[in-house]
Amino acid sequence: MKYILLMSGTKAGVDTYRAWSKKDIDAHMAVLAGINRELTESGEFIATQGLAAPHEARVVRGLKNGMPITDGIFPESKEFLLGYWIVDVATPERAYEIAGRISAAAGPGGIPTHMPIEVRQFAIRPQSPDRTEQES
Amino acid sequence: MKYILMMLGKKADWDEYARWSKEDLQRNVAFMQRFNKELHEAGVFLDTKGLAWPQEAKLVRAGKNGEPITDGVFPESKEFLAGYWVIDVETPEQAYQIAARASAAPGPGGEPGNMPIEVRQVLSSHSDLGL
Repeated sequence: MKYILLMSGTKAGVDTYRAWSKKDIDAHMAVLAGINRELTESGEFIATQGLAAPHEARVVRGLKNGMPITDGIFPESKEFLLGYWIVDVATPERAYEIAGRISAAAGPGGIPTHMPIEVRQFAIRPQSPDRTEQES
Repeated sequence: MKYILMMLGKKADWDEYARWSKEDLQRNVAFMQRFNKELHEAGVFLDTKGLAWPQEAKLVRAGKNGEPITDGVFPESKEFLAGYWVIDVETPEQAYQIAARASAAPGPGGEPGNMPIEVRQVLSSHSDLGL
């Protein structure tokens, strides 16, 4: 079963992170790198990506003539995707366990961030709830 | 430059989507398949995925002992990721053009959906954040 683990945060949250000391950031990244390594060894790792800072985000809509309309204005409460992991696991519980470990990664002063991680399964194709066709 | 194009929607948007007619759904899916094929042929396609329904989403936090604490309660205003494309293009403008095409995907009655697509650059390494 493929799951995506989404790490999101508001602009204020990202600003807090940017104020971390280099030592705290390095320690945090070392934990995440260790988790990636373990997932690779267990054969559960598929991909991980980090996204650029939220102030570079743009919302795009298409006009009838196909021209893009871009807009960079978001509400303060907007949660921006910061990064994600894609894992292939035997059970949802295993996906939650991995998300829990990411959430427990050390933040400032070595204290776990307890950052919420959203766990979502992939769909094979667009579907409605009564036509569920999950990848297994 | 790698970009991720994200389709996001609130639960209310998903409920609306669930009521689309079979014909509208098929038209939309056919568009997406053609769109993906074109991205492929243009050499910019890296990945695309659709996600399962929001009611299956779980929020996980680590407990004191590192055990996962799961919660499936989200505010009404919460934006759920519905699906995404990862593309590799030369300029941000090219990413916006492609996002606009995804936004114009047909909705009910074949009219362009004009769905907002969030465009974000994907980092090749953490040092790109400039911290």
